[in-house]
Amino acid sequence: MAGRGKLIAVIGDEDTCTGFLLGGIGELNKNRKPNFLVVEKDTNGETGPDSVLKMSNLKIKLSSNSLTEYIKYTYKDWARIRLKNVLDQIPFRNHLL
Amino acid sequence: MGVSEVEESSLQLDEKLMRFMDQLELLEEKRATLNSLIEQGWFSMSKARYSMGNKQVSVLQYASEMKPLVCVNARMQDNGEVQFCTEQQTEKSSKESAKDLRPAEDIGPQEEGVRRRNKPKKTEKDPSEDASSKKAPEVSPVRKSEHNPQQDPLKWFGILVPQSLKQAQSSFKQVIELSAEIATLQIAVLNTRQELKDGLKSKHAAEERLSSSAGQDGRLNNSIASKQVENGEELPSTESR
Repeated sequence: MAGRGKLIAVIGDEDTCTGFLLGGIGELNKNRKPNFLVVEKDTNGETGPDSVLKMSNLKIKLSSNSLTEYIKYTYKDWARIRLKNVLDQIPFRNHLL
Repeated sequence: MGVSEVEESSLQLDEKLMRFMDQLELLEEKRATLNSLIEQGWFSMSKARYSMGNKQVSVLQYASEMKPLVCVNARMQDNGEVQFCTEQQTEKSSKESAKDLRPAEDIGPQEEGVRRRNKPKKTEKDPSEDASSKKAPEVSPVRKSEHNPQQDPLKWFGILVPQSLKQAQSSFKQVIELSAEIATLQIAVLNTRQELKDGLKSKHAAEERLSSSAGQDGRLNNSIASKQVENGEELPSTESR
């Protein structure tokens, strides 16, 4: 559980997510939903980020530049999510898109 | 009055612009540091994968139960800006485990046990022995109060992990702290940008007021001048008479 503070979420490739989880930000909540999303070739841009972006106990969300651009145009609730949370951008290792 | 208002708003705009530029420069520096730390982390992870095996450092190794070790707190500063800071959450679990362990140690026999029937002479060695016996119960809680191995994500990848994986972990820990600082700076930059926009609007409004008042003064002066000219034309006609 989150405890006092809020969490950091990550949307990125496998290496990026593994690295941030090594740093200790990972959580599986009561419903076993993670606060990270490993983006692969078959990840759905419209509904994939739902599980991460709609979590209420998140404060900072990290996503790569190219992924952010992709999600911006495919994810339906982008405008609302963008206003509600702080989005940091990190480099993307494998350009899948 | 109008001119001083415009000058004042121009000075304020200049200050805000300088602050905006400084913040942007700092943000770019921190982003560059973040990117290089992430790349360092990736490189270390690749080295670990090379030594351990491809599937040993992957999504398959993630734990089925995860608890966050780092959380983010948002604080409001005096100037109204939000500041994000990261906090480690390992201490609670270690303190709880130490508290749980202490009663078990206290329960153990202290006064019972083998008695020294022949009391040894008190020499210099005794205090050191007493000190060492006192140290022993103290050392074990210190050892056990180290962070729970289940909590450390490094243990997901095996008990003996290569140094490169530990280096990757330390790089990403620094990245997490930097991310909080960058998030704070981003918000500050957006706020300063909004202040600049508002400042520009107020400056334009002040300039328009000044120009409109100047326009009215100009019309008054023109009307006065035209009257003076008319009076001037009449005078020579009376003089000629």
